[in-house]
Amino acid sequence: MNEWEYHPPPDIDATMAETLRSFPRQPDMLVYTIRSISALLLRGWLRFYHRLQIEGREHLPENRSFVLVCNHTSHLDTLCLLSSVPIKKIHRTFPAAAADYFFSSLPRSAVSAILINALPFDRKLKGAESLTVCSELLNNKGNVLIIFPEGTRTTTGEMGRFRSGIGRLVVGTDLAVIPCHLEGGLTAWPKGKAFPRPRRLHLRIGTPRNYAHLAKTSESVVEICRDLQESVAELGKLDL
Amino acid sequence: MSINAAIQNEIFLTYLAIVGGLLLFAGLVLAILGALGRDVLSISRTYRGWLIMVPIVFGTIFLGRTATIIGVTALAIFGFKEFARATGLYVDWWFTGTVYVAIAALGLVSFVSDPRLPRTGWYGLFMALPVYVIAAILVIPILRNRAKGQLRQAALAILGFVYFGWMFSHLGFLANTPNAYGYLLFLIFAVEINDIAAFTFGKLFGGRKLRENISPNKTVAGSLGAIGVSFTVPWLLSFSFDHFEPLHLILTGLIVGVGGQLGDLVISYIKRDIGIKDMGVVISGHGGILDRVDSMIFVAPIFFHMVRWFHGLG
Repeated sequence: MNEWEYHPPPDIDATMAETLRSFPRQPDMLVYTIRSISALLLRGWLRFYHRLQIEGREHLPENRSFVLVCNHTSHLDTLCLLSSVPIKKIHRTFPAAAADYFFSSLPRSAVSAILINALPFDRKLKGAESLTVCSELLNNKGNVLIIFPEGTRTTTGEMGRFRSGIGRLVVGTDLAVIPCHLEGGLTAWPKGKAFPRPRRLHLRIGTPRNYAHLAKTSESVVEICRDLQESVAELGKLDL
Repeated sequence: MSINAAIQNEIFLTYLAIVGGLLLFAGLVLAILGALGRDVLSISRTYRGWLIMVPIVFGTIFLGRTATIIGVTALAIFGFKEFARATGLYVDWWFTGTVYVAIAALGLVSFVSDPRLPRTGWYGLFMALPVYVIAAILVIPILRNRAKGQLRQAALAILGFVYFGWMFSHLGFLANTPNAYGYLLFLIFAVEINDIAAFTFGKLFGGRKLRENISPNKTVAGSLGAIGVSFTVPWLLSFSFDHFEPLHLILTGLIVGVGGQLGDLVISYIKRDIGIKDMGVVISGHGGILDRVDSMIFVAPIFFHMVRWFHGLG
């Protein structure tokens, strides 16, 4: 008779905090259940409390990985983008989130990892390492990455300069990069306020862009950032 | 059980005083030893773990029957999750999901009333549930039209449900008895005392190993010492069950003293066969949930049926 084999996970000795901070995460049925329920509640809340309108859903590719790029005015941005993808894709949609903020304590890590499905992004020391994690993620078919290239929330409403990370991630690859613009985030939930106010939100999803033709040089990276920033701003102007 | 009942219940208040006093005393001893320059690092960590767990346990029982049943059911679900993760059953969502639902059903059945009887806790269905759950688990491979590896998965799922789910859930069902405070608090307290006694006697008196292929740190002396302690505890705490005759006190001591150590050894050989040290990490210094409640899984159902045989549940 053959012996039974057991396959305990490699992180069996990890504490809860370590498991929450690690990435990629192992699929976990309880986590998936909680995330699915909270995603449904979130969609309902955005729809009725913020009257969220989403335009351009047809631009989202169906069977391949893509990157969503958006302006960053409040935490609502992430939530709106999460609500724009089909609900069955929710466990494969990863907002890149600053590790120093969203994974700084156990309760925050729990919300970020379980409810938001955030990818801990190190915006200080290990930026390059975090980018490698992102590109590995996107090499698997059907994953969605949400990135705010400004790197932080704006306090004035003026869109900040796009950092080079997004450019380095997609230069010379066949990934679809989709510019988005959320209008109304700043008035609905300004930085520093504890709770969002019932203001209208409007998310525009632009046409996919592709940078496969560009060579992997720093000039192309700058070019991509400029192009994306313009596209996002362009979408924003439609609201004025 | 309810908040009002807990405030007025002498048994609940007595245990609160005993455990609070013991924690305070242990804290003082640790502080003095630490001040004398002894190495108390690892035991301090364990002690801090107790400082977290004791309020949670008392708080849950204080809140009443609903909270107690929910608490035990949650422990059973997360305990099973540790077992499923350790064995690798966890990657199979059909089996794991079925057992999750089944354990939740045990909690529900402990909570509702038998439609034909006026008291809470549907005892008949609680005892019959394993029939349906085992049947459901065995049907999964048929539904999936798959044979390879299914015996192993089904066997692990059934063991996981029956042992970590059903047997452990008897603890929650005790919340339906009129003497719930006495039974629950005595069991939790006595099982922990038994664990601590086995550990302490094992440290004090070395000598022959108890089961060297399963748990190399346990000694015969430690085991006998713990059984001795566990036989006296029911007499010292006999206020927990005024209606117990001497025979029942002796049986209680036997169940806690022997059963507690057997439960510990069961988890030990499961871990050893898999090749892991702890079932997980929940509270620093205490390992996973199963490392903490291992003795209780064995003791709770046997104590439950002893009580039911002699005194009934109503």
